[in-house]
Amino acid sequence: MLKVEKVVKTYETVHAVDGLSFEARPGEIFGLIGPNGAGKSTTIRMIMNVIAPDSGSISFDEKPFSEAMKARIGYLPEERGLYKKAKVEEMLLYLAELKGLSRAEARMQAAPLLERFKLSDWRGHKIEDLSKGMAQKLQFIGSIIHDPDLVLFDEPFSGLDPVSQDLLLEAVLELKARGKTVLFSTHVMEHAERLCDRLLLVCKGRELFSGSVAEIKARHGSNSVQIEFDGDAGFVAGLPGVESVRAYPRWIEVGLKAGASADELLAALVGRLRIKRFELMTPSLHSIFVRLVNDAGAGVDRDGGVPVASSKEH
Amino acid sequence: MPKLFAVIRHEFKLAAANKTFVVLTILGPFLILAITVLPGLLSMNPKTLSGGTPIAVSGGDAAGLAALEAVAANAGRSLVVMSVDADDARSAAKAKVLDESYAALILLPADWIDAGVTLYTKTGTDAFLYGAVREALGSVARSARAAQSGIDPELARTLVQGVDLSVRKVGGGAVEEEHAESNFETTLFTAMAFVMLIYMTTILYGQLIGRSVVQEKTSKTVEIMLSSLSARELMFGKILGLGIAGLLQYAVWTGMAMLLSKLVLPALGLAAPHAVSAANLGWLVLFFVLAFFLYASGYAAIGAAAEDEHHLGQLAWPLLIFLIIPLVMISSFVMNPGSGLSVALSLFPMTSPIVMLIRILVSPPPLWQIALALSLLAGTIYAMVAFAARIFRVGMLMTGKRATFKEILKWARVR
Repeated sequence: MLKVEKVVKTYETVHAVDGLSFEARPGEIFGLIGPNGAGKSTTIRMIMNVIAPDSGSISFDEKPFSEAMKARIGYLPEERGLYKKAKVEEMLLYLAELKGLSRAEARMQAAPLLERFKLSDWRGHKIEDLSKGMAQKLQFIGSIIHDPDLVLFDEPFSGLDPVSQDLLLEAVLELKARGKTVLFSTHVMEHAERLCDRLLLVCKGRELFSGSVAEIKARHGSNSVQIEFDGDAGFVAGLPGVESVRAYPRWIEVGLKAGASADELLAALVGRLRIKRFELMTPSLHSIFVRLVNDAGAGVDRDGGVPVASSKEH
Repeated sequence: MPKLFAVIRHEFKLAAANKTFVVLTILGPFLILAITVLPGLLSMNPKTLSGGTPIAVSGGDAAGLAALEAVAANAGRSLVVMSVDADDARSAAKAKVLDESYAALILLPADWIDAGVTLYTKTGTDAFLYGAVREALGSVARSARAAQSGIDPELARTLVQGVDLSVRKVGGGAVEEEHAESNFETTLFTAMAFVMLIYMTTILYGQLIGRSVVQEKTSKTVEIMLSSLSARELMFGKILGLGIAGLLQYAVWTGMAMLLSKLVLPALGLAAPHAVSAANLGWLVLFFVLAFFLYASGYAAIGAAAEDEHHLGQLAWPLLIFLIIPLVMISSFVMNPGSGLSVALSLFPMTSPIVMLIRILVSPPPLWQIALALSLLAGTIYAMVAFAARIFRVGMLMTGKRATFKEILKWARVR
């Protein structure tokens, strides 16, 4: 559905996006993840033809962007806003009409969506009366009301309460189930972990990793075990295959060397400690993300700024 | 096209479906009336201003006092005759003028016809009183001088009388139009009224449209909008939607004005100025609509470049200059509609709506010039909207810094 090939965008001396390539397929949720200022929004804006790439190509079903494509795409930009003076339902119908729906069709689509996102009672209110979260839900509805084939959500969950986040998560999963192509960006790894089939980890405009969540864990996951016990565990650090031991009040976390197996560790512990819990930990996407980004030397910096110094490296 | 229609409808609704708009539409004419007509009415009738305090006069002869008596009676005041030859009496009288016990103090020496008269008022700007006193005493003085020279005053009046000059405008087919009043003045006033109408509307609605475009950026709706339609569709839609709201408002106002002139003016025994003919009204509407959309698109372009509403105001000065030029030169256009400057400015799109309209009112220019001005205007409006869309497209993500005119022109060239 969507294919991005070697896109580059440079602002003066900063490489905002530096040769990213990826493909998002129907029935799949593709995550664009990375720290603030990694180039996620710039990439999405280039896909939406808001800004033009310096080089590289972006195609939709092998075709370049066209005005006609706009009707098949739903877009929730990072910078969100609606007409403050417009009424909730009016605004929604207007957004639908701009995507080519007739007023009657728009009305039919709007009612169940407003219901689902608990905005039905607000349909006659002005948008300035809505809370920020409600306005964001409204905007989310606006981006899917015309049943697009491809949806682009830029940080869709930011600023939402947990209940609303779940409503959105459900809706996104439903889009996937209906064979739509979903691309979303986030720097919250829990969301990426729950939603993404595949993801692209971006840092300083460059690809750090691309593949499925399982792949990234297999490749970059560290091997660690949590042990809850009674007794003196001082000897654990000296065992073969143990790389690190981290003590917590009620348990220790043991990092294993590459190739070492948890079974051997368990065997070595039996009889020396009274084990209450022995658990193999899969590393969270979060910790992998933090490690990869730190290794890349960018750090997670403030909003909006790609570190200027980074341009020297290229 | 359906998208453009949706934008027009949306913008129209946003502008017209609120209380302010409805109230302003209905009350607007009364406000304008209050601002324009009332001060005129008040100044024509000075006694309504300072409720009939007496006029003091010192000295003079019977004829002079009789003349002043008539003046005072005319203004609804009484005349107090006193003597202020003593210095303290004079200061006392002046103090009474100052505290408005007297409307004025007139010093009429015994030989006032030769020595002259002094009129003390508080403001020095009471033109009505000045004129009336001058006229009344002048008449007495003229008669007295004629009598002194042994001439019959009646004869003297006949001798200095001027000649009736009637001005006739030669219309097409050797039709003569006769006007009782001076043609220049009524045409000037009609032109002035038309120009003010265009001027006020374009500023009012131009800024409304400029603000609406800036708000796309400040409210951050711009990216959503442009993910659904092109910048050009959005610009045309905004200008047309708000434009139709503005024109609707003016249609209501014009309708009320027509009603007023049909019903109220004849009742007052007044006639509409001759220059307000059906054909002229037609031209007015045409140029009005074009001027409206020209400046609306100009403001849209500036709105597209502006960072916020404050910046919009700063960037708007070039448009205002083009609006003010014809305004300050209006009398020269009325007197010299065929001069090179008039012709040039009546063709130049930024000034043509106003200047061409004046020329049409005064003496119809060649048809080809009108046609040329109209097509230049239409072309400029289209180009201006396209320019606005271009700037909007490029400028929408340039937040955080204020663009200069040089940068804006650079944006317009970006592909």
